[in-house]
Amino acid sequence: MSSTEIRTDAGGPATDRRRMRVFRFKRGDPGSHFDTFDVPVSAGTTVLEALRWIQLHRDRTLTMRHSCFHASCGTCGMEVNGREVLACVTTVANLGDTITVEPLSNIPILSDLVVDMREFYARFPDEIGITRRSEALPEASPPEGIEAFERFEDCIECGLCLAACPVSATSDDYLGPAALAAAQRLLEEPRGTDPADILAFADGPNGAWRCHAAFECTEACPSNVNPATRIMQLRSALVRGGRAAVPAEEVSRA
Amino acid sequence: MMTQSAPRPLRDAPHVLIVGGGGTGAALAHDFALRGLRVSLVERGEMTSGTTGRHHGLLHSGARYAVNDKESAIECIEENTILRRICPGSFEENDGLFVAVTDEDMAYYDDFVRGCTECEIPIQELSPDESLRLEPLLNPDMRAAVRVPDATMDAMRMPLRFLATAKHHGAALYNFMEVLDLIVEQGTVKGAALRDHVTGTEGELRADIVVNATGPWSESVARMAGVDVPIKPSPGVLLALRGRLCHMVVNRMHRSGDGDIVLPQRALSVVGTSSWTVEDPDELDVPADHVQRMREEGSKLIPAVAHAEMRAAWSAARPLIGSKEADSGRELSRTFKTIDHADDGVGGFVTITGGKATTLRGMAELCADVVCRKLGIDAACGTREFVTLPHTAYFEDLDRRPA
Amino acid sequence: MSERRAGVPGLDERAERGPVRRKGVGVPASGWFDPRGRALGGFAFAVNRITGLGLVFYLYLHLAVLSLLLRGEQAWSDFLRIATSWAFLSLDVLLLFGLLYHGLNGIRVALVGTGVVPNRQKALWWSLGVIGTIALIGGALHIAGSA
Repeated sequence: MSSTEIRTDAGGPATDRRRMRVFRFKRGDPGSHFDTFDVPVSAGTTVLEALRWIQLHRDRTLTMRHSCFHASCGTCGMEVNGREVLACVTTVANLGDTITVEPLSNIPILSDLVVDMREFYARFPDEIGITRRSEALPEASPPEGIEAFERFEDCIECGLCLAACPVSATSDDYLGPAALAAAQRLLEEPRGTDPADILAFADGPNGAWRCHAAFECTEACPSNVNPATRIMQLRSALVRGGRAAVPAEEVSRA
Repeated sequence: MMTQSAPRPLRDAPHVLIVGGGGTGAALAHDFALRGLRVSLVERGEMTSGTTGRHHGLLHSGARYAVNDKESAIECIEENTILRRICPGSFEENDGLFVAVTDEDMAYYDDFVRGCTECEIPIQELSPDESLRLEPLLNPDMRAAVRVPDATMDAMRMPLRFLATAKHHGAALYNFMEVLDLIVEQGTVKGAALRDHVTGTEGELRADIVVNATGPWSESVARMAGVDVPIKPSPGVLLALRGRLCHMVVNRMHRSGDGDIVLPQRALSVVGTSSWTVEDPDELDVPADHVQRMREEGSKLIPAVAHAEMRAAWSAARPLIGSKEADSGRELSRTFKTIDHADDGVGGFVTITGGKATTLRGMAELCADVVCRKLGIDAACGTREFVTLPHTAYFEDLDRRPA
Repeated sequence: MSERRAGVPGLDERAERGPVRRKGVGVPASGWFDPRGRALGGFAFAVNRITGLGLVFYLYLHLAVLSLLLRGEQAWSDFLRIATSWAFLSLDVLLLFGLLYHGLNGIRVALVGTGVVPNRQKALWWSLGVIGTIALIGGALHIAGSA
């Protein structure tokens, strides 16, 4: 789980300055470069707030993704001082005097800090449910007419795991942590999917077997998905339970 | 009755340019695309990066407005029902509670129940024991509660479904495309001058009608056409705390006030909100005293709010319609409005503003009806029944999905 | 840039696949050992690969050394003289490190990777690391003793 600072003084007048080195790239440019800005900050200022200050007061052409401002939408993933984080919950406080901000690795860049998430989503299984059974307190019972409390899946599709994965650093074919974790969640809680399909999805040479247990994905995940463990559980399922899910007439061919 | 696969628009269909990629713009793109118009949408940042993405995620039952703003309340409960049908699997459907804690709250109780009944919001009155069985972390000193059909939505992903459906029906959606100016010729808006922030180049896009769906930024866009809209950006502070302190949406049973809602968002609990007014919706700070007030007021509903670890604190600006003199923003109505600027002497330009995240579809229907009348087209709205595509479809290349 | 063209700007460029940032030194295969921003698991993986490559290299070296036996007793004795020098024995310690690390980490990866103990990868690294360190020190002393 990535470490984020506890906000002690939200907003407030600027008490300090930070130097931000921001990755810049526009389509049509021969290559990328860094622009440096001096940004006024206070104790609780987040990287996203600092970047928006730059966008509003220094350079309107700076592009970045953001939406919810509270680690729920997953759009503001970027690499800050080399680490994959969500900019909206990463404060500038302990990042040193110069903060380097770059777009995520392993995903094609649209411009500046924006990556094009189509290739990220293309790896996922066809049906991903985003709601699931909730882990309610044992003493809580759902209201009349509602069978069980439900909640959204932990995964916010931020891509930090894919950016951190050393296997994805060398290959675009590997399904990657997010897609495999989503698949394992469908094994845990099918919601109408067929376990055989999910296991087939995870089974190829570019599926769960391509992982090298670096655990960088779990380290980077801001939302407690623990993709690495889920990939290992997929392997477990493939080795043990896989056969049981395959229809009888296919076993002899296997 | 609209079938599930609508054809792509004809080449000579009228072209609508929507400015603003928030919930309203998304629902409009969807509505126009289903009616067979050619649609372009431009958004200066990422889709939903304005107010839409930042709200607390409440799918309103309307109960909050059942006493003082019945128009809004009725809009909310209708749209609540429709959205559950056309965006299946997009909500944590655990219902909500209105909780009375003080004598003052209890004095409001009867008006509240009556108001909900008049607005046809289904409710269930609960004793403290029953309430604590549903939500064990509620304030043990609570006096009464009423169950309402609130729910939690994913503030970004739900509108993204509308964009996904629009895209797969031929709408052209452009993020990081900023409107520099509107093109006005002979008193008619003909299109927009655009800057593409992805390439750094400029161009212009012409259309038969331009729709201003920019929420709290409505006024700055309207001014480009030389007209005014009575919009007062009204921000509020929200907190996200670690831990899922409730499953149902928990509201305070009183007239609107600060910190009167706590609702779950995945493994977090969001507490909101406060209210003040500003001139510029881009300059929003997060006043520390508001943050403190969220903690204090929220903990009257759920005591654990007082000490739960903070994940984030941020501000979002509501687009409130009303007079500029209003100070706190709470007096202004939460209903929505389509303004045809032909009434101001400018053709080809319509603003849709006000409203709430819950009413995005209803806003789009109203506005699209007005636009179609202006264009002289007879095309009925299909969005009440059309089931939207999953949000992941927004990221799919078009040739991967059958038309 | 200030002249305005008709039509939505940038459409062709947006349609292209953009550049991709990768960790490493510019060569695709080098991404896995870039230490920047890495945590324990990624570091462990990188060292595992490096020791693995090292052991493969050693295997060929070993076969080459064994082939000296074909050249008769003199060649072998010459080799033994080098083989008992301090420099060579230090390399032996390095080899021991490689074997221990790759072997023990291999056990860790096997336990974690087949879903037996998937949530204890850090604890495993440290505890096997302690065992490995003790073995390495013991082995190094033994090797030094045979100098």
